Amino acid sequence: MCVGLAAKVVGLKDGMALVDASGAKREISAELIDDLEPGDYVMVHAGIAIAKIDEEEAV
Amino acid sequence: MSTYSIEEAREIIQGYKGPKIRIMEVCGTHTHEIFKHGIRSLLPENIELISGPGCPVCVTQVGFIDEAVMLATDYHVQVCTFGDLIRVPGTEKSLADIRREGADVKMVYSPLDAVALAVQHPEKEVVFLAVGFETTTPVACLAVKHAMAQGVKNFSVLTANKTMPNAYQALKTSADAFLFPGHVNTITGESVCRDLMEKDGVSGVIAGFTAEELLDALATIVVRIQEGKPFFENCYTRVAKPEGNPKAMAVIDEVMEPCDTQWRGLGIIPGSGLKLREKYAAYDARRKFNLPKIEGKPNPACRCGEVLQGKCKPSDCKVFGKGCTPQHPIGACMVSNEGACSAYFQYGRN
Repeated sequence: MCVGLAAKVVGLKDGMALVDASGAKREISAELIDDLEPGDYVMVHAGIAIAKIDEEEAV
Repeated sequence: MSTYSIEEAREIIQGYKGPKIRIMEVCGTHTHEIFKHGIRSLLPENIELISGPGCPVCVTQVGFIDEAVMLATDYHVQVCTFGDLIRVPGTEKSLADIRREGADVKMVYSPLDAVALAVQHPEKEVVFLAVGFETTTPVACLAVKHAMAQGVKNFSVLTANKTMPNAYQALKTSADAFLFPGHVNTITGESVCRDLMEKDGVSGVIAGFTAEELLDALATIVVRIQEGKPFFENCYTRVAKPEGNPKAMAVIDEVMEPCDTQWRGLGIIPGSGLKLREKYAAYDARRKFNLPKIEGKPNPACRCGEVLQGKCKPSDCKVFGKGCTPQHPIGACMVSNEGACSAYFQYGRN
């Protein structure tokens, strides 16, 4: 159940982020991460970003 | 950044000649990935992996399924759940059984989707089954906060959320070292594991989920254990930061408070559960529907409880692979694809 998916943030709006995970796009909650910007990589779990990942190590 | 390359890690692991090491992978996702990548087949005989109780579906008590079944059948609510829970046997029926009989049981990817369903269907009562550890609990808490902020009255949660620190205390003698669950530590940070080492002498490393990360973590354990003193290392620093995710921890603390809870196989562990705080009582399905106290009865043939404590292997259970298969599971560990029994069945019996 603790499975996570690394994804790239491609858009942000009203506490939500549009992410791209290997081509699949999905809207997720970005409420738990401060200062998220397009281009950042995040770990996604159950519809929410739980951590920002260092870019060079994301994938 | 990993310490060891795949080749180095494999050499360290396969070259180990010391006394037997018992390593418990606490997390169900680790169990599944370790089998999937064939890592068990690389291990020499003196390194044993034990699948611990970190699959939330597997440790959820039978009575919780009975409560969810009762909500759907007697109270006619729409039960929203992560897919893993649907086929877990209750005392008499699973959620899959009652769905076939017409009950409203819906799979969701996120608790936030369950709130959206409640908004779309004001004529329905929607109950989300909140299971999971620190990784999953923050988003369930956010769902409750969103529902309250939006004035959604037809949404509530049935909680069985659990936290790891007290479970480690209950398990600390079960293994020589732990593979700590990387995404739990992504939320909680490192302090829980550091405390275990410093106060209780419990060793372990935080591990990621790729083959490279898992091998790195196992090799680190093999190297550090030979130093002969308790150790802790974070082998998943690309995601699990030392401080964790303080915002996520704050959301849990705002919405939920600790309670005693029952773990399948481990019994009641004091302070290891979470329930909604009084401020959010209107979103607590047990209170909203005044559910009676239900003591579920697990199938007596099932040895999931011992499997979860590393006391027996799935293949030691009489019904494993016979009466109990992924198609017709008797115990929760055979249902969830993260359960030890399911992984043993799917990827080989040893």
